[in-house]
Amino acid sequence: MDRRRVNGPETSVTPIFKSSTKATILNGSSKRIDNRSADDLRPLFLKTGLVTQANGSAYIEMGKIKIVCAVYGPRQLKRVGFSSQGTLTCDFKFSSFSCVQRRNHMRDPQEREYSTILVQALTPAVRLELIPKSAVDIYINVLESDGDNACLAAAIIVASVALADAGIEMLDQVTACSALMQEKMLLMDGTMEEEDQTDGSVMVSYMPSLNEVTSVLQTGKTNLDEVNHAMESCIDGCSKLYGVMSASLIESLQ
Amino acid sequence: MPAPVISPAEKAYIQDGVAHDCRADGRSRLEYRHLVLESGLLSQAGGSARCRLGETDVLVGVKVEIGEVEPDKPNVGRILCNVECAPSASQQFEGRGADDLNNTLTQALDRIYNGPQGGFDLEKLCIIPGQSCWLIYIDAMVMDYAGNLFDTIVMTTRAALQDTRIPKTEVQDLGDGEFEFDVVDDVEEAEPLEGWDDSPVVVTLYKIGERYIVDPTMLEELCAQVILSVGVNKHGQLCGTQKSGLGSLEPSLLSDMIQTATQLALPLIDKLDTKLHDDYEKELDKRRKGEHVEKMGFFAAVI
Repeated sequence: MDRRRVNGPETSVTPIFKSSTKATILNGSSKRIDNRSADDLRPLFLKTGLVTQANGSAYIEMGKIKIVCAVYGPRQLKRVGFSSQGTLTCDFKFSSFSCVQRRNHMRDPQEREYSTILVQALTPAVRLELIPKSAVDIYINVLESDGDNACLAAAIIVASVALADAGIEMLDQVTACSALMQEKMLLMDGTMEEEDQTDGSVMVSYMPSLNEVTSVLQTGKTNLDEVNHAMESCIDGCSKLYGVMSASLIESLQ
Repeated sequence: MPAPVISPAEKAYIQDGVAHDCRADGRSRLEYRHLVLESGLLSQAGGSARCRLGETDVLVGVKVEIGEVEPDKPNVGRILCNVECAPSASQQFEGRGADDLNNTLTQALDRIYNGPQGGFDLEKLCIIPGQSCWLIYIDAMVMDYAGNLFDTIVMTTRAALQDTRIPKTEVQDLGDGEFEFDVVDDVEEAEPLEGWDDSPVVVTLYKIGERYIVDPTMLEELCAQVILSVGVNKHGQLCGTQKSGLGSLEPSLLSDMIQTATQLALPLIDKLDTKLHDDYEKELDKRRKGEHVEKMGFFAAVI
């Protein structure tokens, strides 16, 4: 039992609403629920410098998704011992109020997995060999979530910008993009409503200047050529987001 | 004890070997180690299987239990996965050393089986809609860790699911929308899990240098920069792909690796299914004739 916090009753459930007809994710004139076309990404807002105490920080808004990232580092390793390269760690946390079902304060398996994925997506871009014996800690706090894959992609983007804001030397920025697949349909940057109604999804994180993929996550049952097409579209989406990321970093210098 | 380390000299040796298509144990890049697979070992489990791939040893037990349906999915049963690396499996697993690995493997296994890509007809697992359903608990235990863990776990799980039998239930309508059910005691009437042959198999490719290999040993795993796990079902569809490792790869290499994984998976599924089917037929035959059915047991696979 968590003695540090005020605990509510042991079990409580989110209300299940008597569903009216579910909005179709792609209507007759090829428009999605939020009036985007199938390959439109949600509008992106990025700004650095939100957390004043951190070495670097960034805030991202992608449609309804809101994520804050703070980067502390390079700082001393908490563990005793020598490492010839720096250590990159990530603490990914959904706020309790960020998703439809209330999330626990303790880190659950999904958050631990996302932390690992984030480290694996960002490590190829960071020049860790320049900071031996040091640690770079990334703290991701999701304030509002709208689609798990899109949330993970947004987290990778904001972490990359925050690392750059912290002045940590990197080889390239890491962009990320997600897409949903259902039969022959490909929806870029799917929302939670769309995710609930589709089976397949893909999330790709990519370094545009080096032309290298740093993370791939595909779920659901899909054919090989559909997945290849989805991955290519995601990489294209990543390249589009790169411009916005660079612009926000340049703006922070002025 | 911390994670195992590898010297630069050893790393260079392995990288050169992979580049020349001749690995330390003489295998080619896309060759698997010796595989021993057996199912139906544990009497208390609904289904069980054990697989030894090279020296990696995994035991999977499947238990079927009755539980309540989830409020937002009242007509389907559920599959719950868990992977546990026994502390005895490797020096790095003592105490809480295996926690991270357990979590990663559990999430990855859950990604494979939870959803339509798992192949199961979850509606058939529902006993009384809105009330009770079958819960399939898949518990994988890693007994020896010698590289290529995830592939072995999925292969073993597939065999365990083939071996699983779900008891038959008789539902009685008490009227007024009330239902009650009884579980039939007869072992012979238990039904196999429908759709187990549609469940995927995972092929994990490890990028070492500029080439990639399949089924690495412990040392080869430490040299891998990029690890790509691809789940493929018998129809050639992708059922879950995940990249891990701290390196990166070009998009063209990524598509190439996914393509190779699909090509490796289909004959693998074929061989596994044939073997499981043949073993099952032989066992049925022996039981019919009243002959003693001898299982290989836990030590027989250690060469």
